[in-house]
Amino acid sequence: MTSVVRDLPFRLALIVPLVVLTGYFLLLLGSQYAFFSAAAFLNQLALPEIQAAIVLSLGSATVSALLAVSIAVPSAYLLARWEFPGKRLLDTFLDLPVVLTPIALGTLILMAWNTPAGRLLEGVGLTLPFTVAGVVTAQFTVVAAVALRMLKATFEQIDPRYERVARTLGCTAAGSFRRVTLPLAARGILAAFILTWARAIGEFGATVMVAGTARGETATLPSSIYLAMSVADLPHAVTLIILLLLVALAVLFAVRFALGRRS
Amino acid sequence: MIRIKQLTARQGNFLLGPIDLDLEPGGYLTILGPSGAGKTVLLEICLGLVAPVSGEVWLEGVEVTRLPPEQRQIAYLPQDLTLFPHLSVSDNILFGARQQRLDPDVIQSRLQELIDLLALDDILGRPAVGTLSGGEKQRVALARALLPGPRLLFLDEPFSALDAAIKRQLQVKLRQINREMGVSLLHVTHDQEEALLLGERIAVLIGGRLRQVGSRDDIYYRPASLDVARVLRNQNIYERQVEQVYANGSFKLAGDLPLITSGCPGAGPGDRVAVGIRSEEVTIIRPGRPIGPDLQENLFEAKVIDILGFGGTHTLTVAVTDSEIQLDVELPNCAFRDLGYAIGDRLQIALRRRSLWALPLDSSTREVDNAQL
Repeated sequence: MTSVVRDLPFRLALIVPLVVLTGYFLLLLGSQYAFFSAAAFLNQLALPEIQAAIVLSLGSATVSALLAVSIAVPSAYLLARWEFPGKRLLDTFLDLPVVLTPIALGTLILMAWNTPAGRLLEGVGLTLPFTVAGVVTAQFTVVAAVALRMLKATFEQIDPRYERVARTLGCTAAGSFRRVTLPLAARGILAAFILTWARAIGEFGATVMVAGTARGETATLPSSIYLAMSVADLPHAVTLIILLLLVALAVLFAVRFALGRRS
Repeated sequence: MIRIKQLTARQGNFLLGPIDLDLEPGGYLTILGPSGAGKTVLLEICLGLVAPVSGEVWLEGVEVTRLPPEQRQIAYLPQDLTLFPHLSVSDNILFGARQQRLDPDVIQSRLQELIDLLALDDILGRPAVGTLSGGEKQRVALARALLPGPRLLFLDEPFSALDAAIKRQLQVKLRQINREMGVSLLHVTHDQEEALLLGERIAVLIGGRLRQVGSRDDIYYRPASLDVARVLRNQNIYERQVEQVYANGSFKLAGDLPLITSGCPGAGPGDRVAVGIRSEEVTIIRPGRPIGPDLQENLFEAKVIDILGFGGTHTLTVAVTDSEIQLDVELPNCAFRDLGYAIGDRLQIALRRRSLWALPLDSSTREVDNAQL
């Protein structure tokens, strides 16, 4: 028996699931074809509420991803490099938003804004219900832990001996971070930003709970899809889905490029 | 140059010290020890990368125990991963000098000196360090460490991943750097040959404790403890009882190998001692040749029971007649070929009194205190 014949069952066990999964994804994408027309797509794009949803989604995802990465970079570096009592507990605690459903997270945000601390924040102008700030806060809450996880893995992959050598060459701790660690982590940070941004632009549950779905105001692309489907407005929904698909494809290629160049 | 006083450190269950050690300006000190002895931790404490539990580090008369690494100005060449992968070869070399904002003219003149010394001409323009060979990487790392003009350079097993020929070239460069540039070197290694080749003084660190500090001959021929003897690969070590102490201080040892040794402080009749001789110090008596006065004692008949070849040398394992004692005898290849021994051949061996070392057995863990280098 040749090795090809002998290995056939194993090869099939690998190939069949991949073919099934690819076929399923193609079915999902292809299902749009029956409802898609280029003219309707362009007409829908001209609608003010769709333009508002696009602008809001792109803008809020960019702000929330920037905020998440800005906070995650120092936090992840600290968790990757320092040893302190309770570190594992803290690490696990910071993973909670990843495993909690976004609806629950949104509810927690609303409840937090009803505490004295939340009222204090509201007092200085950070009002969340039915505001863009609410959209950004909801997205940030969902994606910050994702950014933290990715960046911690990035910093853990960088050997701390580079920083030690930099210290002996005259760098302060901050200097070695800036001149050695950050450049070495640049691709990882870029990949974390892109994926965090993609996660933020697709965020629905927490955003709807906190900021609602006011057309032209707080309705993002995902919540606009929900609104369209709730009134069976398929052309509207298909346009928004295709927009999200284009964004997703662009993000996947960008991440591949960033990580590929790094390796 | 650098003085370490009563230094202790803890890493998990591992305890280092207390260590007392000095390195004079322009000196070359090697710290020899097996893996896990605490060599790297000791360097990292001196560099300011790890905090000690207690003790002090002094540099040129100034206590620096609490100073951050960037203020100590000690150059450092770690074992591997020394070059920054995101920088070009020249940016790697210039990293420290730029960070310390040195005068561009000074940088240029030192750079030229290092290019000549380390033959960097061909690799200076490389855009990425990933294309360099192991030896080239270490030359670049050495240039980067030396460009800021340090007076003290720490080396942590710098050549352990290199092949023998490149290792020897770089070892020669280190001696040049020490002699011609006046840089003091503190070099840790597990390689006995490297430690003895390079160190003017050698410190032996085992299990976090300094066991002996001394010259090449002190360490090699007069180990201060059994641990040191073993780290220095002494093959022939035996436990014996002192039978008699002569008026000149030498001992006669009891047992089936009745040796006369030069004696050792603190041991008297009836005490047990460890006695040893390096395999290359065992003398084979050629038949028919006159025997010199220093070979008249400790003369034994033996039989060759094994022969191992090691490139430039051969090691004969011989069994001493009428005893259970076995000895390793190392011969250069030319002598081995001349003698033409084969397994089963009989021969006569002499163990010179001056080649034998003896230690009271209770001193095997004795430490070296306040070692002066």
